[in-house]
Amino acid sequence: MKCYRIVLAILLALVLPGHSAFAQNKTILVFAAASLKDTLDEVNAAFTQAAGIKVTASYAASSQLIKQIEQGAPADVFISADLDWMDYGAQRQLVKSATRINILGNRLVLIALSGAKVERVTIGPDFSLAARAGEGRIVTGDVRAVPVGRYAKAALEKLGLWASVQHKIAMVENVRAALALVARGEAPLGIVYETDAKAEPKVKVFGVFPADSHPPIVYPAALTTEAKSGSADYLAFLQSAAAKRIFEGHGFIFLAKTS
Amino acid sequence: MFDLTPDEWIAVQLSLRIAIVATIVALPFGIAIAWLLARKDFWGKALLDGLVHLPLVLPPVVTGYLLLLSFGRKGPIGSFLADTFGIVFSFRWTGAALACGVMGFPLLVRAIRLSFEAIDRRLEDAAATLGANRIWAFLTVTLPLALPGIIAGMVLCFAKALGEFGATITFVSNIPGETQTISAAIYTFMQVPGGDAAAGRLVVVAIIIALGALVASEWLARRAGTRFHGD
Amino acid sequence: MLSVDVEKRLGDFSLSAKFETGSGATALFGPSGAGKTTLVNMIAGLVTPDRGRIAVDDTVLFDSAARVNVPAHRRRIGYVFQEDRLFPHLTVARNLDYGRRMSGLSADPAERDRVIDLLDIRPLLDRRPGKLSGGERQRVAVGRALLMRPRLLLLDEPLASLDARRKADILPYLERLRDEAGVPMVYVSHQAAEVRRIATSVVWLEDGRVKAIRGVEFLDAMRAIGS
Repeated sequence: MKCYRIVLAILLALVLPGHSAFAQNKTILVFAAASLKDTLDEVNAAFTQAAGIKVTASYAASSQLIKQIEQGAPADVFISADLDWMDYGAQRQLVKSATRINILGNRLVLIALSGAKVERVTIGPDFSLAARAGEGRIVTGDVRAVPVGRYAKAALEKLGLWASVQHKIAMVENVRAALALVARGEAPLGIVYETDAKAEPKVKVFGVFPADSHPPIVYPAALTTEAKSGSADYLAFLQSAAAKRIFEGHGFIFLAKTS
Repeated sequence: MFDLTPDEWIAVQLSLRIAIVATIVALPFGIAIAWLLARKDFWGKALLDGLVHLPLVLPPVVTGYLLLLSFGRKGPIGSFLADTFGIVFSFRWTGAALACGVMGFPLLVRAIRLSFEAIDRRLEDAAATLGANRIWAFLTVTLPLALPGIIAGMVLCFAKALGEFGATITFVSNIPGETQTISAAIYTFMQVPGGDAAAGRLVVVAIIIALGALVASEWLARRAGTRFHGD
Repeated sequence: MLSVDVEKRLGDFSLSAKFETGSGATALFGPSGAGKTTLVNMIAGLVTPDRGRIAVDDTVLFDSAARVNVPAHRRRIGYVFQEDRLFPHLTVARNLDYGRRMSGLSADPAERDRVIDLLDIRPLLDRRPGKLSGGERQRVAVGRALLMRPRLLLLDEPLASLDARRKADILPYLERLRDEAGVPMVYVSHQAAEVRRIATSVVWLEDGRVKAIRGVEFLDAMRAIGS
């Protein structure tokens, strides 16, 4: 029977120490659009250094995140990749509209594998996107919900290309998943943000969608209605010069007025 | 040699904790229901059997969604538990443990039920003639004899809980340090440019843990089995 | 003294038996299918009669009219089964002590020694049932039933699963049991030879009905005739 006691002891040792991020009330939980990963991680680290408060970030498609907040997820800050999902949150009283601020902008790009033999093109109404995709697919976020997918569809519709490429679109759950698929060579083309392309050396920008072909890409940020105290400092930090440097370094367009 | 970054370590520890808690909490329920299904006949038995096996055949995301609807903050059971006992599942590791426990439960019940069915009920009759009431007979005869099956069931449940992804991420999402298990971490790292190394390390860890659990269960079950089979 | 008056229907088979036994060893004798095991299971409380009354001395164990049905674990009736039914996960020693512990009886080392020596099972104490021969297992089963200090001992064809040599080995122990244990026995068998050696009275059961109850003189006559 002795071995059972040892096994029990090991089990207890693993189970008991309550390592929970929320055990310390001071951790700020940020729900941020997938395209902000890496960049926001840096910003969060800088914030922790400056303010001494830990930040945990959960990245996913903005549509997913706001629905999770609606289900009661204990997020303190929500950063969306489009205005619609922030509006959704405001309508359902999930965010404090008074704290809402537009932080960043971005551009929509068409990407291919770095090694692919393609030269930079201009994307316009006479661009033969379907032909360029060949037998493969054009991967992007879900065009019904994920911000990057919605921007993509809007742009393709405006350019009159949607009908010809519709059946070639492969939809994934967030922009980073799309990026990964192109980087692995699973899909010849992808529609992602400029900042994503910049972050992944294995892909290169094939073309940039004209800014007027889609609604402006704006990243609003706001405190959730259940946000804990101290979150406002974090939101303020996102608008600071230090944050601006990091965001712009990764290719984001900084929209907020620095304090 | 590989080192895990702190984030990766947290995912590993969290996964282990969630899987262990899920298995331990599921165990008494698993034993009770396995016993009911093995020994009793009652109206609705087929229904119970079906319900128990549902997580095995439903798409994991559906299970996760159903959990969200019932145990989420706004769900009937979830809000009751939160208001009365302060127990919160949504977006907490407890919710991940619940999801993993639910997904592993059918495997647990199946193994234990088979074990109970294989036990000679005449031994329980003998225990009764020797003065053991039903509960004592269960504890001193049935349960020890079922031990190899119970252990096997626990390991299956643990392994399933460790690898669970769909139901967990639907129910409690993917919050590092709280609900980001090994599977969710691998999934996340796969989407991070240059994250393949981290994903790879975690894959190796997951394999090691799974193999370790299998070996341990074999050893434990064999020890429990030889103690009385005498061969 | 055991007093039985029961009825039971099991499918096409119907059992209706009424008899009383005294001290010593009463054989329940009859061909296979006569209902002997069912009868014994009813006495033990493992099977519930449809109707009737079972009592040991002044204690009523079952009475359908008075709605009395003492559960098996409280009847304090020892039962040696045809297939020993020793607990495979316990040593012989723990098997022996099981009944005493479950019944909440105090330990009696002298008694324990007596039974162990009566059945000659001392060398087996630390072994598991899986490592014993058939005859050894049956002796342990008898010891296990005895050590719970039963008011009555039931033995259901305890020699049936043994070969002739083992039977010959155990019979003396059973005779000693009858003579020295001080507990009334009900001994089920379809073998006349065993019954002649062990029983002090016979209840003859056939087709679910008691055909005859005979005392010692009948058995002497049986022995004399050699039938």
